[in-house]
Amino acid sequence: MSIPASLLKKLVQIPIFQGLTVPEAAEFFEVALEQVIEKGRTVFREGDEGDALYVILSGEALVTKKGVELAVLSTHAVLGEMCLVSPGDTRSATAVAKTELSMLKIPSRRVQKLIRGNNLATLKVVANLAQVMGQRLAAINDRLVAADSKKKPDARKEELADFAGILNRWSF
Amino acid sequence: MTSAEAANWYFKKAARIMDVGERIETLLATPLRTVSVQVSIELDNGEIRTFKGYRVQHDNARGPMKGGLRFHPDVNEDEVLGLASLMTWKTAVVNLPYGGAKGGIQCNPAELSVKELERLTRKFVDQIHDVIGPTRDIPGPDMNTNPQVMAWIMDQYSRYHGHSPAVVTGKPIDLYGSRGREVATARGLQFIAREILRDVGQQVQGTRFAIQGFGNVGSHAARLFHEDGGKIVAVSDVHGGVQNARGLDVPALFEHVKKNGTVRGFTGGTPCRNEDVLTADCDVLVPAAIGGVVDQRVAAEVRARIVLEGANGPCTPEADEIFEQRGVLVVPDILANAGGVTVSYFEWVQNMQHVTWEEERVTSELQRVMREAYEKVGQISRTRKLPLRTSAYVLAIGRVGKATVLRGI
Repeated sequence: MSIPASLLKKLVQIPIFQGLTVPEAAEFFEVALEQVIEKGRTVFREGDEGDALYVILSGEALVTKKGVELAVLSTHAVLGEMCLVSPGDTRSATAVAKTELSMLKIPSRRVQKLIRGNNLATLKVVANLAQVMGQRLAAINDRLVAADSKKKPDARKEELADFAGILNRWSF
Repeated sequence: MTSAEAANWYFKKAARIMDVGERIETLLATPLRTVSVQVSIELDNGEIRTFKGYRVQHDNARGPMKGGLRFHPDVNEDEVLGLASLMTWKTAVVNLPYGGAKGGIQCNPAELSVKELERLTRKFVDQIHDVIGPTRDIPGPDMNTNPQVMAWIMDQYSRYHGHSPAVVTGKPIDLYGSRGREVATARGLQFIAREILRDVGQQVQGTRFAIQGFGNVGSHAARLFHEDGGKIVAVSDVHGGVQNARGLDVPALFEHVKKNGTVRGFTGGTPCRNEDVLTADCDVLVPAAIGGVVDQRVAAEVRARIVLEGANGPCTPEADEIFEQRGVLVVPDILANAGGVTVSYFEWVQNMQHVTWEEERVTSELQRVMREAYEKVGQISRTRKLPLRTSAYVLAIGRVGKATVLRGI
């Protein structure tokens, strides 16, 4: 579909599309389809084949994994971007329309073809994605450290239990 | 290294062999409470003097804390703390239901009259009576404190809390003291000597003993080893020593000491220096005077196969290493001289139950306690291939540790 320049200008402000010129963005989004999903419907399920990436134009999507709420995404958020770097992998989470959702869907096969053809716009998107993933990894590491330090009171309990274990091994 | 530092060194050595971890080590080494007071009294001449007094309560996981009270010019907080922890390990090795404590007043009792000592003792009790007691912390005699001092402590404490003989041990026989308390430490040494000599295929009969120190511990030990048929080949006190390779005539020696107040000048042997006793040709060396007398230099020259630590910390850790390399068996203070605190415990038991035991009962119960402790330490030593001292500390840490874990921290 052809996307109005006004929307393209907004899209290139999204982190993974940053650095694209408006013509490059137009080229990338050329094969995009607009989809409207009713409130409560599923966009994709954890375990489905990752066949496309989505950009939310309006509305909110709830992302969950094994029933645990991970995030609520809204306008200009990107969903399913992992399929750009690991085509064929299954979805790692489930996305459900929290309100009526209007989205752009870019098929993964199309993106792979552009990468193989050394399409500059697509390579820029992949480079941006690598950066975003790096930031996410750092955030996850911080959360792991925080979760670990919250466990500190338990550690003392284990230390006493360890000591009891030592005393049993020495058998008095 | 002071004897207090040495005690901590041995504790750490055992704790590291057991791999208990740094924080558990700190938990076990740190005292529960340290009380520091200024004790002001009026001297006989009307002058006012202020003395520093301490009571350190190290650990109460196994029961009320127990430990001596000493009057000495060198008393300081560090030393008292080290000795308090030593009491925790000692009471644990002999499996008494006690924790460890120690106290002291920094003073020179030789410069004080009896009346001044009484005022000093009573004033000290005024300042610490809140933290001691028959189920909290039970002082006992130590350097320069005797049954009379214990009687003053009992009396002063009882003024606040009602009749309480069990607040202190080592009291005079005529005031709730126990029979057999005075010879208790020496009796303990006698029982340990019998056990270890049997283990190495010998017996006390004919064994040659050298004893450094002829006070409460050394003199009674000499008499008891002699009664068991042992030969006392060298003895000494602060004034000097005397030796006789064929064995000293112990009853005659006692007569001499009774008359002269020292073993020096006894004609039943040749005079020698105090240090010569440590390196005398003998089978069993009993350092029963003060701490730190056997250093690495002396240890290399010791000719005994067995060292029985009658005093607290007579061997330095360096000497201990040399003995280990040379295969000299060292029965550590926390086992060897634990007879004293054990009979203190019996005194407390009698006071708590309002009964009096005959001396035979005290002696046979003491023998049971010492044998059980020796057996347990020996078992750890054989199965873990550790020296007796480390084994004793391992046993003590194990017992205190178990009580700590069961009660929770």
